[in-house]
Amino acid sequence: MADVTITVNGVTFRVPAGTNVVDAARIGGISIPVFCYHPRMKPVGMCRMCLVQVGTPRLDPATRQPMLGEDGRPVIAMMPKLQTGCTTPVSEGMVINTESDEVQFAQKGVLEFLLTSHPLDCPVCDKGGECPLQNLTMAWGPGNSRFDYNDKVHFEKPVHLGDLILLDRERCILCARCVRFQDELADDPVLGFDNRGRNWMIISKSDPPFDSKFSGNTTDICPVGALTSADFRFKARVWELSSKPVVCTLCPVGCNLSLDMRYDQLMRVMPRENGAVNDIWICDKGRFGHRFIEHESRLTTPLIRKGGHLVEASWDEALALVAEKLAAVQSSRGGSAIAGLASPRLSNEDLYLFQKLFREYFGSHNLDHMPGSAADVDYDEHGALMGVGKGTNLMEMGAESLVLVIGADPEEEAPLYVLRLRAMLERGAKLVVANMRPTKLDRSATTRLYYQPGSELAFVRGLLRAVFDRVGHERLHLKHSGLEQLRKTLSDLSVEQAAELCGVPAETIRAVAQALLEAKQGLIMYGAEARSAGAGMSESLGVLAALTGKVGKPGSGLIALLPGGNSRGALDMGVRPDARPGYAVLSQRGLGAREVWPALREGRVKAVWIAGLDPAAQLPAARAALEAADFVVVQELFLTATAKLADVVLPAASVAEREGTYTNAERRVQRSRQARQAHGEARPDWQIIQGVAQHLSELSVPVAVPTQRVEESSQPVGGKGKSKGPGKTTAVTVAEPSTWDYLTPSEIAAEIAERVPGYAGITYSALAATGQGGDWGRQTNEAIFYDGTNYENSEGIGIQLPNLIEGQKTAVSLGLRPLSKPAHERSLLLVSQSLAYDGDLLLRGSLLERQIPQPYVALSQTDADKLNIKPGDTVRLDSAAGELTLSARVVDDVPAGVALIPANLPNFSAAAVQTGPRTRVNLVKVVTG
Amino acid sequence: MIGQLLKGLRTTFGYIFTQPVTVQYPEVKRPVRERFRGRHELKRFADGKERCIGCSLCAAACPADAILVVPAENTPDHQVSYGERYAATYEINMLRCIFCGYCEDACPTNAIVLEHQYELSFYDRRDSIYTKEMLLVPEDQGHGDAPPILTQLERRPSPPAQIDL
Repeated sequence: MADVTITVNGVTFRVPAGTNVVDAARIGGISIPVFCYHPRMKPVGMCRMCLVQVGTPRLDPATRQPMLGEDGRPVIAMMPKLQTGCTTPVSEGMVINTESDEVQFAQKGVLEFLLTSHPLDCPVCDKGGECPLQNLTMAWGPGNSRFDYNDKVHFEKPVHLGDLILLDRERCILCARCVRFQDELADDPVLGFDNRGRNWMIISKSDPPFDSKFSGNTTDICPVGALTSADFRFKARVWELSSKPVVCTLCPVGCNLSLDMRYDQLMRVMPRENGAVNDIWICDKGRFGHRFIEHESRLTTPLIRKGGHLVEASWDEALALVAEKLAAVQSSRGGSAIAGLASPRLSNEDLYLFQKLFREYFGSHNLDHMPGSAADVDYDEHGALMGVGKGTNLMEMGAESLVLVIGADPEEEAPLYVLRLRAMLERGAKLVVANMRPTKLDRSATTRLYYQPGSELAFVRGLLRAVFDRVGHERLHLKHSGLEQLRKTLSDLSVEQAAELCGVPAETIRAVAQALLEAKQGLIMYGAEARSAGAGMSESLGVLAALTGKVGKPGSGLIALLPGGNSRGALDMGVRPDARPGYAVLSQRGLGAREVWPALREGRVKAVWIAGLDPAAQLPAARAALEAADFVVVQELFLTATAKLADVVLPAASVAEREGTYTNAERRVQRSRQARQAHGEARPDWQIIQGVAQHLSELSVPVAVPTQRVEESSQPVGGKGKSKGPGKTTAVTVAEPSTWDYLTPSEIAAEIAERVPGYAGITYSALAATGQGGDWGRQTNEAIFYDGTNYENSEGIGIQLPNLIEGQKTAVSLGLRPLSKPAHERSLLLVSQSLAYDGDLLLRGSLLERQIPQPYVALSQTDADKLNIKPGDTVRLDSAAGELTLSARVVDDVPAGVALIPANLPNFSAAAVQTGPRTRVNLVKVVTG
Repeated sequence: MIGQLLKGLRTTFGYIFTQPVTVQYPEVKRPVRERFRGRHELKRFADGKERCIGCSLCAAACPADAILVVPAENTPDHQVSYGERYAATYEINMLRCIFCGYCEDACPTNAIVLEHQYELSFYDRRDSIYTKEMLLVPEDQGHGDAPPILTQLERRPSPPAQIDL
């Protein structure tokens, strides 16, 4: 936008047109105090703190040119009254005065007035020390008040707005930042005003109260101590805290966090600004869900099973035992009798070393990062292959971009994406949400579609056909293979046929295809429900991105929402049985988690090492297998159900107690720092793995296989009938056998940068770069404007990896697997719904625990009527695998033909009925008595 | 010669017959001045409620970083002080303390006062940390009434920043 020249307090400078006066003055280094204005929200001019004198050049009515005075300067017509700076946009030649007596009189008056109903209880207020009201009063306010303290209106102190947020009504200055945040940014309009005059107050309008996944952010933006979090209430004073930069590992967004510590104790979690990841927000899961770090049930010492009991042992003893037992299994049964499962919440360094140990020492490819349940979905490759292009920044995307969200519920799977997608919408982007059932993102969508349950693949094929009909392959700029096959596959299914299969009108499919083609930038986000349709789904979405030219450039590509904080890292590091780091395909695959359990029972696998996963809690099969196993090592934070079955339990350090890097859904690698000392004797996972490796080398176990070459292979991953070039073209030269003497994780990161394709240049020093500061950074007035929200990111914003097809190194296969006809032997499709607040171990000890639901099965009204089921009835599900009894809910949002159960709840497992990511079930009411 | 000796010792002999200034500490203890800054005490109101509201301003003011306050929330069943907040932990490291009295100045409720006790010696460094139990005056030795604003309302109001107690 064109710049305009303005004069503030006699200083003339240029600012972009359309800027409001408050921001414009800030550009010139001049502070205008504000309470209600917040740069992320629309100005409302409620608090009157930003009153300034504004004048514009007087125009000659005849010529529309500024009239010039006797001194040759434009005549300025000052507005008769003070104007609110936040709602006044600048114009050419505008003159602004922020320091005149009149303005100062107004500022003092506003502050004196605001303080008449403020209790001045700063000594006990959690905001004290980072409170804009304190700061502005000191800088602009009157020295004293004419208002008698005893005349103040007092309210009963804290009221619970929700479980997590408390409201102190007498401190509130009614700026409506919280209300506007919930309305505009979070789209959870749960807050509102009630009463009027001195009794004007904020209330929660929802049931349960303050029902939002983003409620914690309102405490950050509250300019007074009116909203405080139940988590930090009266824990510490803010000046006692030191902020430690870490990365959130609770979901694939990878929000940048500050762990505010007093000495060695976690006091609160705050967002750290990162425009490319979380802006200045975090969700409640990240904010409140880090109490596991200090939970009293954390493991503190290694445990060894002696005589049927786990007893405390020293590290040396435990590591030596692990090395000895694993070496024994290897020498007697070969390395393939050892399996390793590592959690996707571990860091890249841990995961890399884990697979390195298995591949180099044991020669075993029996690796996985999933628990091995029937519901595990296929490894997601396309999120990396066709991932968003390097340089993608959702903060900068807006007009002319389109986001297609398909089979995903970002609010539950990766909550912060809701805020980021909504911010894109605000800037003019289009949002198409296609799901089998309504999700909360629908309210924001420009187009929302519901396909028939289980027909997402047909929907995407319809889209592909519509795109292909319109532009053919003219936008396909990638090296590719299988175009003819694609042409043939697509010709089998017309848009109309696809429309019939998926229940979305053909013209809607065409319109979405058209919109996707017209958009300059296109993102395709898919989540758990899409991935549960099988690998064909991500493959089809990849082809859709390729055909529409929405790949290999900034702002375009696929975003896969995978479970856990670092699933992408686990895939990149090759913690899977069928590929090495960098998706280098193996000609001979090992056993995945799902195959490990029967193999353990049959004795083909003798020993298993589980790092950070708890399969025994969910899977009866895993429990039986672990009981049958010869030797089980578990590396964990807690004594989980799996750890209780182990022969050796090794206490691992949590994310706060170690350094590491994590790769998020957009393939941005971010570095997390150590925030506190190790818990007890817990050690970082990479040290544990290295410790075992060192003991193994003392036992002089020969390195099992030459790892010097990646197998040249055109064999597809898992034999799924499709070639993915990386194995052919990515030559990894692995150097001399490693010595296993890493001193710091940065040394492992350096090795990863050297050896893992795509990670070149991802060193710790490179990750520390902060790039351009955000809007927040260190700047004029920030402490006064945004105190409590100025989370300067001085520790690095991370680096986005290029996707694998960037640079045309890899040919993309366009061949699609045929559309399978869904079987309908049972009446309902059992879909597991990912929830943000589920049985994740990491939520232990947090206030979110009470928001974890009890197990239930949700049905549509139609099905409930048909089966004569009322809410609360006990029902029995039966599938080809088994039976399960649950209580029923009847929910409007569930489409007919679907039985929805929450995934991963504590003390509940649907494994009894699951035959795959999706299961056909019958459902009958259980009549008791 | 002898005359010169006597001359030299005149002052000495003179003092033989005056009252000595030294006292036989520890048998005899010299009273300190009213504004002497000795060991701290945590005060109470006359009704026994603690004056300390756990605001940590003493710790913030302390130039020697000798004070640790860990606050907690009052509940209706466990009302330690007036208002919402009290000090669950209050510790002063007497080896660090320089007895400057800034904590006293910073205290919004006159809860911490440097009193006249000066006998602070320890065999162990750990003993130099005085805990809340050691610092707090007995329950029946409180003084002053809580400001009406705090007591008259059944609303757990908090003490304001500046109030004359």
